[in-house]
Amino acid sequence: MVNFLQQTFNGLVGGGFYALLALGLAVIFGMLRVVNFAHGAFYMLGAFGTYVLLTEAGLPFWWALVLVPLALGLLGIVLERAFIHRLSRLDPLYNFLLTFGLTLILQDLVKARYTVSSVSYPQPAELAGEVPLGLFDFPAYRVFVFGVAIAACAGVWWLLTRTRVGMVVRAATERPELTRALGIDVGRWVTPVFGFGVALAGLAGVLAAPMRAVNPLMGADLIIVVFAVVVIGGLGSIFGSVTAGFLIGLVQAWTEAFRAPALLTQTLVFLVMAVVLLWRPTGLFGREETVA
Amino acid sequence: MRKAATVAVVSVAALLATAACGGGGPRSGGESKLTDDKIVLGVLNDQTAVYSALSGRNSVKAVEMAIADFKAKYGDKAVTQNITVESADHQNKPDVANSKAAEMYDRKGVDALLDVPTSSAALKVAEVAAAKKRLYFNVSAATTELTGKACNKYTFHYAYDTYMLANGTGTTATQKGAKRWYIVYPNYAFGQDMEKSFTAAIEKAGGAVVAREPTPFPNNTGDYSVQLLKATTLNPKPDTLGVMQAGADLVNVVKQYNEFKLKDKGLNLAVGLMFITDIHSLTPDALAGTTFTEAWYWNFDDRNRAFADKFMQQTGVRPTFAHAANYSAATQYLEAVQAAGTDDADKIVESLEGKTIDDLFLRNGKVRAEDHRVVHDAYLARVKPSAQVGQAWDYEEIVSTIPAAEAFRTPSPDCKL
Amino acid sequence: MTSSAVDTAGAQAPVPARPRSATAAMAAAPAWLRWVLLAAGLAFALWLPNGLYPAVAVDILCWALFAVSVDLLLGYAGLLSFGHAAFWGSSAYLTGLVAVHSGVPFPVAVLAGALGAAVLALPIGYLAVRRTGIYFAMVTLAFAQMTYFIANEWRSVTGGENGLQSVPRTLGGLDLSDEYFFYYAALPIVLAGLWAAWRIVHSPFGRVLAAIRDNPARARALGYPVHLYKITAFVLSAFLAGLGGGLFAMGHRFVSLEVVHWTTSGKVVIVVVLGGIGTLWGGVLGAALVVRLEDWLSFSGFSQIGLVTGGIFVVAVLLFRRGIWGTASELALRLAGRRRRQRQRDRQGGTAA
Repeated sequence: MVNFLQQTFNGLVGGGFYALLALGLAVIFGMLRVVNFAHGAFYMLGAFGTYVLLTEAGLPFWWALVLVPLALGLLGIVLERAFIHRLSRLDPLYNFLLTFGLTLILQDLVKARYTVSSVSYPQPAELAGEVPLGLFDFPAYRVFVFGVAIAACAGVWWLLTRTRVGMVVRAATERPELTRALGIDVGRWVTPVFGFGVALAGLAGVLAAPMRAVNPLMGADLIIVVFAVVVIGGLGSIFGSVTAGFLIGLVQAWTEAFRAPALLTQTLVFLVMAVVLLWRPTGLFGREETVA
Repeated sequence: MRKAATVAVVSVAALLATAACGGGGPRSGGESKLTDDKIVLGVLNDQTAVYSALSGRNSVKAVEMAIADFKAKYGDKAVTQNITVESADHQNKPDVANSKAAEMYDRKGVDALLDVPTSSAALKVAEVAAAKKRLYFNVSAATTELTGKACNKYTFHYAYDTYMLANGTGTTATQKGAKRWYIVYPNYAFGQDMEKSFTAAIEKAGGAVVAREPTPFPNNTGDYSVQLLKATTLNPKPDTLGVMQAGADLVNVVKQYNEFKLKDKGLNLAVGLMFITDIHSLTPDALAGTTFTEAWYWNFDDRNRAFADKFMQQTGVRPTFAHAANYSAATQYLEAVQAAGTDDADKIVESLEGKTIDDLFLRNGKVRAEDHRVVHDAYLARVKPSAQVGQAWDYEEIVSTIPAAEAFRTPSPDCKL
Repeated sequence: MTSSAVDTAGAQAPVPARPRSATAAMAAAPAWLRWVLLAAGLAFALWLPNGLYPAVAVDILCWALFAVSVDLLLGYAGLLSFGHAAFWGSSAYLTGLVAVHSGVPFPVAVLAGALGAAVLALPIGYLAVRRTGIYFAMVTLAFAQMTYFIANEWRSVTGGENGLQSVPRTLGGLDLSDEYFFYYAALPIVLAGLWAAWRIVHSPFGRVLAAIRDNPARARALGYPVHLYKITAFVLSAFLAGLGGGLFAMGHRFVSLEVVHWTTSGKVVIVVVLGGIGTLWGGVLGAALVVRLEDWLSFSGFSQIGLVTGGIFVVAVLLFRRGIWGTASELALRLAGRRRRQRQRDRQGGTAA
């Protein structure tokens, strides 16, 4: 029983990563209709940024938590203005391909500097050790990660529902034409929102650095799983992406823990995605879009 | 007319450009342009991905050092002064390795191919070597199939294999007190092999594997917490965690092992396959106390240190066993050619079979005629905590030597040489 | 490739990405020119293994088929498959297995592989064509990833990490052990596949497909079963990709997991964009360039291959969407137009405009 609870909580921690990444993807897609293939690369850059801050500037984890997402947000804004914006009038598949190319470039740039061997980032000393969680003890850092993931999702929810910016973003996401007709300049929010989505990916990277091996390919396979998560939740639905992220994290942990055949564990997320697409094409919580 | 010409020119020019950029020469058949005036050594390995630090470009440097030392040793009496190195990157992809190996033998006239990490690539190259009847010294791959089902006349397995690792770490660690093991292994051929080999070695030494867990391979998330968390709730309680992951996966497992404070909970760490570059990535403290089997260590004795100093001058890092083994294989090949006076592959094979060798890398070494397994002493090493690390890369403490006769398995009946 | 859904974040009617001028140019080109180009292409194909390392030439053939199959779907049916490696790869494995276990002449094995790919494409296509645009791409990516994991896990059949080894290569009594000869044995199959693609495009079926791509609602209103057409196109494309994949397996006599990896799916899309979407022959060109470039890079000591591939892709998508073939045709068309106007002006006796 204890093991089951441990695994469940662990699944939630893993789900937190999915949720954070899916959140960024969903926000970007909602606003720009761009499926950001480079999201995994930004996550990787977030982790490396954390490492670089420590090794080059001597700034520990807490600084990274603030600075790295900001830096990545800026990078996102620059990339959006420079490249993505140019293709915004075209079929969104072009931007998808563009971000795929960007992924290859970003990965190789980091590879050139740091080689493919992993670099190691130490856990912040304040979070070493374990905390009691009722029936079992759990590493404090993982509890922290879970907390931050929840806080970030809650924060974004608050932003979207309680601020003017959020209202505009939501309106632009759901009814772009109507929003424009009402005289609201949707265009000026596109770039900041993209930057914000990228910053979220960076935040996930910062959180991952002490927990996982930091190497240039760390986001590569992860991104496809996150795609599936976002499609399950519903492209464009923030709530759906977050929920699906945690859900998939849980289910993955359970199948792994209870010895399901290896194939099932690996393909689980895609099977679920296939089923969801058949049954509810716009995802569990997505909205109807015209489909030819 | 102009329009036609333009379109035709643009299209055909583009097509020709593809071939024109230094394209290959006419097809060469089984014969290459080898003469006795030239020896070409080839290094085929991973120069950009997971194994680039382990061998990578520095292996090419190691081979160059071997050539230089050989020329210095023999001076004018060397069988030829025209000795060069070709290298290519197989990116750990067996199909790339396949084509590159064929190209190196045919196009570049390579006489002996070295290195080739990644078991699937290694096996493929063995096939190519047999087909082209050229020599192949595999240094960096672990699969015992190279001296098993896939063995052939022209292939030599030079440095280590899964049996050596399992027998070294599994047997010795069990003899030293690791009685109840929990093995975690990546769920693919290499990992499954390692698990089986380790289990056999452990049980033979009087220990027991109380639990084993496969982990998904490839592992997208790098998260092994599911398997590691189980360790604390197992009954009977294991005293040793056997980790069969390699590369980035190993780094993740060890990090999380430390995160969950499994050592404090009484679970020691033994690693199936570890390279000094992994210790460098993780920093010694993450792995302090871990025992593993090492094929060669730079700080073991004066001979190794001398080589390591020269190597460091040229590359800025200390050599891994792969670098030393490549150096050794290149040297031994050149010596064989020198002695035989020819680079005819069959004659070299004959001269190598059964030969005992003692050099930088091969201590008490012998080239077994039955399966072309090159046996040599291996070492049980332990990772030092960073407090004990005297200089950069001095991470290992050699606990004991595993004699060549014990380190490797007896020739397998699968190999029919 | 046009926009599928109406809702595209406020974009105006999206610029049709397919270079219309490409087919316009090709259609406008006089018949004799097309024959000249065809003859030139054939002559080049016959010469190729003499100028390039034969194994690389064989790769070019295979990738040419692969690229054309993807372009068929993308340029003419408007569907971006980001998981086509599933068909390329599954055919490679099936071809290899058939050859290993039955020793049939290699064209039979390749055909079997391609048929297998087509069969695989039926359920995947059926499920995928319900979505369009980016959804379609992601569904195909997901299914391709599943294929990868299946190939990875099914070690007894595929060899897993070690791959499928020692695939025999026979054709009657011919000795095909040298890739040079295999190239010529494979060439007819590749040409047949390319011809088939061309035929599909220039057929009533192809025209309906183009109509569906441009305006699905209208096509449906006209009574065409849109989904059926799309699935058919998907299966045909998978068959061609499978043909390429089977030949690839034969060419290397070895099948590794790389053939079903998503980077392979991405690479073929890069090839198609570089060559020119909707041009068919652009795919052949792109394949030749990319295969040759990668071969050259791997021996040059330049390690950042992703940088180059990614860079090419970014540049192509941003600035060069017509691709090489498309740009060439566009250029030709413009020149033709200019010459025509010049001629008209001369005929009118030089009267100022």
